[in-house]
Formats: sequence, C-alpha cells, structure tokens
Amino acid sequence: MTISKTTPLRLALVALALALATPAAAIPAFARKYATSCLTCHTVYPKLSPFGEAFRRNGYMFPGVDSDFVKAEQIPMGQEANKKTFPQTAWPSSIPAAVPLSFGANGKVVVTPSKTSSAGLAANGTKFTLQDLAPEGHIWGGAALDDNTTVWAELTFAGGGADVEHAQLLFNNLLGPRHALNLIVGHGFPNVTQYGPHSSYLGDAMLPTMPVSAIYRPDDLGADPWTLVDNYTGMELNGVFAGMVDYAVGLNAGKTAVIAPTDNFYGRVGFKLGGMRLDGEGSSGAQDAARPWAETALGVYAFGYQSNSRTSVAAAVTPADTAKVIGLGARGQLGSAELNVAFYNQAHNHGTDTGDKVTGQVAFGELSYVVFPWLVPAVRVERFALKPAGGTSISNTLIQPGLAVLIRPNVKLVTVFNYEKTNGFPTSGGAWMGGASDWGQHLSTAPASGAASLSEFETIGFFLAWAN
Amino acid sequence: MIQNAKRLARLLLFVASSSAGVAAADGGIITGKVEATPSKYLEETVVYLKGPKGAAKPEVRVMDQRAMAFIPHVMAVTVGDTVKFQNHDGVVHNVYSPDNEGFNLGAFKQEEERSYTFSQEGSYSQLCSMHPEMLAYVFVAPTPYKAVVDKTGNFTISHVPAGTWQVAVWNSRLKGADKSVTVVAGQTVTLNVTVKR
Repeated sequence: MTISKTTPLRLALVALALALATPAAAIPAFARKYATSCLTCHTVYPKLSPFGEAFRRNGYMFPGVDSDFVKAEQIPMGQEANKKTFPQTAWPSSIPAAVPLSFGANGKVVVTPSKTSSAGLAANGTKFTLQDLAPEGHIWGGAALDDNTTVWAELTFAGGGADVEHAQLLFNNLLGPRHALNLIVGHGFPNVTQYGPHSSYLGDAMLPTMPVSAIYRPDDLGADPWTLVDNYTGMELNGVFAGMVDYAVGLNAGKTAVIAPTDNFYGRVGFKLGGMRLDGEGSSGAQDAARPWAETALGVYAFGYQSNSRTSVAAAVTPADTAKVIGLGARGQLGSAELNVAFYNQAHNHGTDTGDKVTGQVAFGELSYVVFPWLVPAVRVERFALKPAGGTSISNTLIQPGLAVLIRPNVKLVTVFNYEKTNGFPTSGGAWMGGASDWGQHLSTAPASGAASLSEFETIGFFLAWAN
Repeated sequence: MIQNAKRLARLLLFVASSSAGVAAADGGIITGKVEATPSKYLEETVVYLKGPKGAAKPEVRVMDQRAMAFIPHVMAVTVGDTVKFQNHDGVVHNVYSPDNEGFNLGAFKQEEERSYTFSQEGSYSQLCSMHPEMLAYVFVAPTPYKAVVDKTGNFTISHVPAGTWQVAVWNSRLKGADKSVTVVAGQTVTLNVTVKR
C-alpha cells in the first residue's frame, strides 16, 4: 500500500465529509401533533429528557393512550368500530389534516487556531470560514396512524445530494403487556444504546464511531465503511418490561458500497433503576415541576453487533470483512447532572486491505449539567485504540469541553473546544478518523517530523441549528 | 259537540307532546355538567337514568347524512325507538353498525331513507361502508330520561318522576361512575359528572 504525502489530508477530509453526513434529530412535526413545546421532550435538542426518551422508546407515542393527547386535526381512514368488521373492512387508521412535515438546517463555523495542526493542514491553513454555516437541510416527517402505529422519516440534503436517513414504520404493542413488543421496519438507526442515538449535548451521536475500513482499507469498503452508529435498512424488535428492563434485537442490510447482504445483526439488553419508567407510564419521574429533566436514576445496558462487509474486489485480494462488536454503557443522573459512559470492542477479521485482523476499542464519557433548560455546559471525552495484527497498539483521545445553548426552543448554538492527543497513527503517515460530532472529530495526521505522538488544540467549533 | 271535540284534541296533543308516558308533566328536572378528561371526547357523552323504565311511547327520530357526515353526531334514543336515516348528499351512502346485534341498511341514494328500530340497550357506532371516515353514535337508553350533553358538557333531563334513581353516563371512550339522585316533583336537582379513562 503506497501512501502519498497528501493522502492523510485527503483521508481527513473524507472523515470530515463522513462526519458531516451524520444527521441531527429534532422533529417539530411531533410538536405540532400534540401542540406542545419542544421542551416537553428535549432540553437542548436533540438531547432528550426522561419523558422524551420514553416517547422515543414507545415508538414516538405518549404514555397512556396516544390519541388522547393529539390536538392536531386528524382525518380518519376508518373508525374504531371497523376493527369489529375486519376483514370485511380495512383496519382503521388516520392521517393528520396538515402534512406532518418539519424543516431545518444546520451548519458550523470552525476556528482553527493553528495552521500547522492536523485541522489546520486539512483546512489548507484557513483559520475561519463561514462556508459551512448551513450546509445541511432537513425535512422531517412524523405521524401516528393509530394508537399503536407511527411513521417517521428524515430526508437530509447536503453536498448537492439527498439522503434518506429515516423511513420507518413502527408497529407498537404487538403482543403481551403494553410496550413489551414493538417492531420497527425500514431505514434508520439501530437501537444499540438504551438512549436516543443523538443523546449528546456536544456530539451529533451519543456513541462515537470508528470507521476501521476507511482507516485501513482504501478500497470500496473504505469508501463507505461500516460503523456502529449509522442509518441502515432492516427491522428491529424492541420493548420494555415492567418499565425498567428494555431490549432490542435487529437485522439489517449493513452498509457496503457494492453489496449489502442482510446478515448483519445486533442486540441490546438493559435496565434502569429510579427516575421515570423507561416507558414513561404512571406517575413516576420528575417530581420537581421547575426541573422536569431532573431525576435520580441509573441505567445500564450491554450490546453486541455483527456486521459483514462485502466487496466487489476478488476475495483472494481483499476478502470480505466481518466486524464484531461487544459493548457496555451506562447513564447515571443525579438531579440536573448526568454522566453517560460507554465502551465497546470492535474486532475485524479482515480489517486491512491485506486481509489482516484489526481490533479496536472505543470509549466515551459525557458529563453535563442542566443549569437552565436552555443552558447546558458539558465535557465530552472520546478515546480510540487500534491494533492491527502484527502492528503496534495506538490510541487517540479527544477532549471536548463545550456549551450547548438554546437561543430559542428550536434554535441552538453549541460551542465546542477540541483538544486531541494521539499516541501513534493508524498506518505509516495515516490519519485518525471517526468520532461523534460534526464539529470536532478525530483527525490527527502523522507530523512530517515523524513523531509518534501528538497533542493538538485542533479547533473551536460553533454549531448552529434550527428546526421548524 | 264541536267544543268537546276541540277539548279532546287538545288533550290528545298534550299527551302526544309528552316525551314520556310516566308521570311526565309534573316531574322534576335533573341538570348538570359533565367534565371529561381528555376534554376532546366531551361531546360524545350521554347522561341517562337507569330507571324508571315505564312505558314510553316509541318515537321516530331522524339522523341525516349531509356533506359526508352524520347529523347529529350523537343521538340518544330509548329502547323501541326508530331512527330514520336520510341521505341528502349527491352520493350513495350506506348505514351499518357492527355493535350489539349489528345491522346493515344497505346502499341508498340521495333523498332516500332507511329506518331501523333499536330494541337493545347500548351504544351503536353508525358507519358508512362507502365512506369510512363517517361516524355517528346512537345511544339506546333503557328509559326515556336521557340527554346528550352540549358543547360545554351541560345537560338537562326534564319530566323525571319523583323518586330516587340511578344516573349513568355513557361516553364513546371514557367511563364515569353511576350516581344516585333524588328527584322531587317541580324541583330541579343539580348533578355533576366526570368521565375519564
């Protein structure tokens, strides 16, 4: 494998593009449906309050009988009594009288203090640019078809193209006790965490991703690498038992540039002690009307994932790669203070373009404190470690103190300081990639001096987003 | 002779105008308000007495179909009453109900009408198989003493015989507890009712 001098920078730019393609999540269509504020479910969106988490977990439905809370005019496609005449009549549903769409945009301003840092080199020495202030547009759609069925869609426009990030049908309460068995069919994020995939104040996603095949395999796997957190097409069963135990199992088509076989599967199981029930039912949860986000609770979950990435290149040259992930996560909350942590091991049997194994470990922690519902200081730490077979162990750590501010309940500004410390590089002259945010990710490249370690104050990121 | 005939006619008119055959004119009044949680279902509420059943004269009521909607949306009748379903739309309608004994009045054109006599107590969802969004309720009460609430939940039941009676409430989705009320002839008694999940 030959690496030119510009390869690391190009790879870093690819990483930036990949990170930029990750979605934000907020959906005012639901606010319209219930005629309620974003703050019913969010603090600084897309971070969800315990009630918002329950709403998401219930398939985007309120606890109790969802239609009791719906204020937007609905057009019945049939009546409740039609259930008695099924199959002579169709099973009833309804649609909103107003198209349940919402719109938004987001972008960033990145300040690069040092022209010679990895970020400075990737930006060709540009210290400040407004070019990416609104590079992404979103159309979100969300509506209930009845008290057990939801549709949820997200279309993102970026870089002159459009990407369907969500297109899901959620069939809730299929069998057994309420919330015990739900089915999600379509395109979206696998629920490998107990909390929402965007459950972060400073990152776009809660779990950081490590695109191993982008780092080590610049073939067609590297062009569209599998990562733990991304949108895939498939189906998932999930549910909550007794308000405190939850699970998810799923099957999806993964993400491969050439072939997408549906033999990728995952599972998660967890529990929550204290605070609001996982399904939000009953009168559990926030007791302080002035701080509805606050609770004292502990949630713990374990997850596993196997993904198979195929390639059009002859197997003898670049064999298919299987990634196996096993991880553990937790959320502890004490009033307005919250700590999220997770760790996972990601093992690839053919992680390099020469077919070698690669093992990696990803860990993150995010500590936040809701001073006001519109003001949340936080600090986030992400650590990657990689070891290709026959190679040396290397690691990369990102430390991100920051501040999330709601300018309005549906307009936010997040400021993040990105400090990166590297001990080694993925290949000779290679670059780190991955992370969880649009405005600060792992991007250290090997310095010209050949030094094996690097500490850099990469960027100050200002992320602006609105949804309406 | 003519004078006697007029008196007899007035007497017959008075008897016919009474909605109940049981001590109607000299009864009391039950009035009050229903509070519903959630309030969006308030208008689909009927307050009625479980007794006295008496021997009310069967009535014929009219439920129309206009602009692809049943009018009224909720109707309260008494066991034995007949509802005449009309069609004043320029499209063919159907009326059927899957509730209780179930019935289907078939398809009928503009200006046509079909009737159905309700012989069982209970609520009937009135549907149109051709336009599944159409819905009305016919609530069949066991006594003539019943009222559909207005938009704010108020109701009035007149000509109630003196005595102590059980008052019940029906709502399309919510439930309320029965209440006992004592009615005195010539007086009005106030009763507030709540319905919820």
